Amino acid sequence: MLKPIDKQKWDFTTAAHLLNRAGFGGTPADIDRLAAMTPEQAVLYLINFELIPDSTPNPDWAKPDPGRADRLMAMRNADPDTRKTMQQEEQRTQRQRSIELKHWWLERMANGPRPLQEKMTLFWHGHFATSEQKVRDAYLMWKQNELFREHATGNWLQLLTAVAKDPAMLVWLDQAQSRKEHPNENFAREVMELFTLGEGHYTEKDVTEGARALTGWSYDNRDEQFVERPRFRDDGVKTFLGRTGDLTGEDVLEQIVAQPQAARFISAKLWNYFAGQPPSDELVTALADRFRRSGMNFKPLLAAIFYSEEFYSDSIVRNQVKSPVQWLVGSSRVLERDVPGPFISYGLTRSLGQDLFAPPNVKGWDGGLSWINTSNLLARYNYAAFLVEGDTSVLRGLALGPPKGGGGGMQFQNRLDNMHAQSVDVGKLLTVEERSDKDKLLAALERRLIQGTLRDSQKQTLRDYLDGQPMLDRDVVLNTIRLMMSTPEYQLA
Amino acid sequence: MKPDHILRTRRDFLRTTVLGGALSWTVPAFLSNTFSALQAEAADSATQTATGRDGSILVVLQMAGGNDGLNTVVPFSNDYYHNARPRLAIAPTAVLKINDSIGLHPSLTGFKSLYDGGNLALVQGVGYPNPNRSHFRSTEIWQTASDSERFEKYGWIGKYFDNACPGCDPTVGVSIGNQMPQAFASKTPTGVSLQNPQSYRFISGANGGNTSEQSYRKLNSPDPDPSMDAHAGDTGADANSGGTIGAISGSAPHTGSALDFLERTAMDAQVSSDKILAVSSKVANQATYPQSPLGNSLSLVARLIGGGLPTRIYYVSQGGYDTHTNQINTQQRLLQELGDSVKAFTDDMKAQGNMGRVLVMTFSEFGRRVAENANAGTDHGAAAPMFVVGDKVRSGLLGRYPSLAPEDLLEGDVRYNVDFRSVYAGILEGWLKTPSAPILGRHFQPLLCA
Repeated sequence: MLKPIDKQKWDFTTAAHLLNRAGFGGTPADIDRLAAMTPEQAVLYLINFELIPDSTPNPDWAKPDPGRADRLMAMRNADPDTRKTMQQEEQRTQRQRSIELKHWWLERMANGPRPLQEKMTLFWHGHFATSEQKVRDAYLMWKQNELFREHATGNWLQLLTAVAKDPAMLVWLDQAQSRKEHPNENFAREVMELFTLGEGHYTEKDVTEGARALTGWSYDNRDEQFVERPRFRDDGVKTFLGRTGDLTGEDVLEQIVAQPQAARFISAKLWNYFAGQPPSDELVTALADRFRRSGMNFKPLLAAIFYSEEFYSDSIVRNQVKSPVQWLVGSSRVLERDVPGPFISYGLTRSLGQDLFAPPNVKGWDGGLSWINTSNLLARYNYAAFLVEGDTSVLRGLALGPPKGGGGGMQFQNRLDNMHAQSVDVGKLLTVEERSDKDKLLAALERRLIQGTLRDSQKQTLRDYLDGQPMLDRDVVLNTIRLMMSTPEYQLA
Repeated sequence: MKPDHILRTRRDFLRTTVLGGALSWTVPAFLSNTFSALQAEAADSATQTATGRDGSILVVLQMAGGNDGLNTVVPFSNDYYHNARPRLAIAPTAVLKINDSIGLHPSLTGFKSLYDGGNLALVQGVGYPNPNRSHFRSTEIWQTASDSERFEKYGWIGKYFDNACPGCDPTVGVSIGNQMPQAFASKTPTGVSLQNPQSYRFISGANGGNTSEQSYRKLNSPDPDPSMDAHAGDTGADANSGGTIGAISGSAPHTGSALDFLERTAMDAQVSSDKILAVSSKVANQATYPQSPLGNSLSLVARLIGGGLPTRIYYVSQGGYDTHTNQINTQQRLLQELGDSVKAFTDDMKAQGNMGRVLVMTFSEFGRRVAENANAGTDHGAAAPMFVVGDKVRSGLLGRYPSLAPEDLLEGDVRYNVDFRSVYAGILEGWLKTPSAPILGRHFQPLLCA
């Protein structure tokens, strides 16, 4: 178990695999650079990302808003009509920021210098799945995102504690309202069921006792910050996962992380996220053992995963369905184009089933094969025509209302119509030689887009397509790229 | 492209691929079903597979935003009602009376005529224990048929597909709209969602043209099995052999690589989009629908039913019911659209001869607060009525009207007396003829409305 990958196996394919899974893929040049390192160097390069400066600026509104408390007060005291207007104004602002925030993150995934940090941030977002639909505050959503980034590969207990005190989470799972008279069990339950242990590893009594111990952890809406409220706190004796006393929230989280199941649960989930399949029991034991021995720090666990021969086995390489975010970000990278603008990126990811900051529920996205159904597979094929050829006609089905009722769809349609969409620059992707020789063209595109091989019949189909064209011009090259992206194979990484 | 052309090429295609490569385990699971359906269609358009012409159909209609139940089914003789709603209460003279105490909203003329014709069941006071007043969460509860405190991964319709027809044609569930409702979430992804048949297909880009579409079709088709080449050229005697078809059917396992799954889905997408495009263009509506999103959705559903799509469940939705301010005009417009669209749909079904096969069920994530608010609107509430429409419904009033007496309210909202899962159970058992407990997680007393 977890033996290092054989140096002989380190080549373009395995390097591409590492870059796809630990990041969002890359161009052939990116992959060649990684393949030229030893596997150990490559893994360390990705994992020790804090050595690489990241100067991504924050969205300009992503800071505490000193005028907010006064505005809230004014809103409360206003007459009904004024209040309504103020609320609508607030909603408009939040919606605008939300769309900016999604784009800001997608950009950072695509072009930021630390792919693994963003990939882990995305993991934590799906794991501690918090939705803007309840939190309704882009600043808090951004703040939680930054928290995931800061602790991306850090320590489990520290991350868990930070998440439990995170304003968006306090609102999302109702901990903000929990008080000793009526302990709210939502967070206490989910923290064990979904975040740390899994069903069957705690009792209902642990939920109620845990909820009691967590009372007093609350949220100050005025300052938008975590606050301890002694008046809310139940200071009686509780028994939680075998420990008894006047337990606090910290005690609860410590006690959870001390369970042997805690290391197994998160190790298995991380393996599944990166490898694309659940690990065998034996593998979980090995991973959890590494994790525990490292003091429950994620870096050594991730190194063990990325460095293991299991991670590069045939059943794992090129056998993971790209998530919609991976599809969009990865496509932008291999096509060497910008991530589409905020409204379109939002529309694409949402209609493909992964609206960032709005996971379907507290369980997050199911992922895997569930990303794909007939509708969104056809949509991926059609959106490829937009990404490659700048063809906005394929986006017509994308009526973009805000998540709940209301207008907005028309506005979007107008934006679309007025938009000057660009196609990819084939000169960046292909040499002159590749653009003038059909075989070389197909080979270059296969290497860039599929990073493996298509079936012979598919290659023949593309060759037939090229043979049927009067000349090998830019439009034909673009259409060939689009066709290659319109295959089952392209949906895998 | 003319439908018969599509049919012919598709038949040819299936003959050379399914019957060619069919015995390989990677073959799309549902192709065999489609294949037999197409063969049947070709042989005799009156003969259909089990999910075809003879199957019963459910149309789920979501009224998104939380419809105000009290002003939809109006307790016009109730003093509590009038006292709680000085601005919003509907005058007794205006309601479409059902009996001495309740009547329908004045713009629900479509529903009133269905009611009078014996085609509408009105289920009163539907909800669930510990009602949640968040749109997001309560919608999820209705879609997954979960308890208020439980999070379920799969939707109730998705669980129906998983239980009743694993490996079905994906068009067994069709949702009209851009997004698949959570109700369709299932272990084995099933069902398609489309805004219109023109977008549910491979669209050749600006530079594409026909060659591009042909290439797409080939890139997304399984390889013909060389050992079957001799049969590939045959004109159809083998292809029609029931024995061969039977052997293929149901033999495809659901496990396998992600690529197998994607290839299967790509095939499903190709065949179903051809089929939907062909079917929707060959049938004309025989009723006039309101010019509105819901009217358009239901007219498309009618064309798909008329064209013989093997769909058991259609899903349509109408938004805008979140009437916190100036409710009167908004709700009036929405209910008019609702009643008229459903009425047009039933007229269309009657004209097609399919009225006996369809059942329409409405739902909204919650009703609204009994007392009106300061903005001539209403805030999020709890229980509300559901409508079930069809030829074979138990027409009339089901359940009982919730009490509006202040002491009977739950934080200002009416209490439910029918659990919505009892309505689901009644439809699953009585209409779709399938046991409801595996789908709803446990036994709910079925409320039989059809």
